[in-house]
Amino acid sequence: MESKFEEILPVLISHGVEFILIGGGAAIAHGSARLTHDVDVVYARNTENLRRLIAALKPFQPYLRGAPAGLPFQWDERTLQGGLNFTLTTSLGDLDLLAEVAGGGSYEKLLPFSDEFEAFGTRCRIVNLETLIQLKRAAGRPKDSEAIGELQAILEERRLQEGET
Amino acid sequence: MSDSKTTHCLPNLPPPDFVDPVIEAYKKDIDRTLIRENLKLTVAQRFEKYKHFRRFARELREAGQKARMRK
Repeated sequence: MESKFEEILPVLISHGVEFILIGGGAAIAHGSARLTHDVDVVYARNTENLRRLIAALKPFQPYLRGAPAGLPFQWDERTLQGGLNFTLTTSLGDLDLLAEVAGGGSYEKLLPFSDEFEAFGTRCRIVNLETLIQLKRAAGRPKDSEAIGELQAILEERRLQEGET
Repeated sequence: MSDSKTTHCLPNLPPPDFVDPVIEAYKKDIDRTLIRENLKLTVAQRFEKYKHFRRFARELREAGQKARMRK
């Protein structure tokens, strides 16, 4: 199922969820031309934020992606407290909620390496391009090689443009 | 156009412009004209463009499925 950034992210933002967009969505924000199928965010683990996440996503039937139907999966504080990273399917599309990312750590650790951008009629926090490249490489997935190449090309083009101005 | 004001990166990882021969092999085939066009847009415009592209891809996929069903 494809994910609708323009629907998922405003839902999180309107509920005051503290998160940073990473992955393919962040790549699009930085200029990538590649298609992505899910939304990846790193979220803050404080209790208040978990409650906001639960309230934000509850109407959209979050469920463990790829899990058999009918599991006793409850979208509540206890479930979120008991886990870290959740790969979810929702009625708005697939959403990966990550408490920690390889090489980047937690929301708090990643926060200084992110910026706020105007998007979806609001402000959205997105990991910066340099750090996104580092995270992609730290994930160590061979399938990311082409994406890393494109992100490095974007960085080079951006630096060229900045050098010209 | 640059959107990001930050230039710093995680100190515990190799720098973003670290040269990896495998990545370089992929990089040479990247269409930089697409990147240059995207860099002219704001972040909001990039997501809007992505939305249209995604819709286009979905319509193509559905058309392919219908064509296969007719066979």
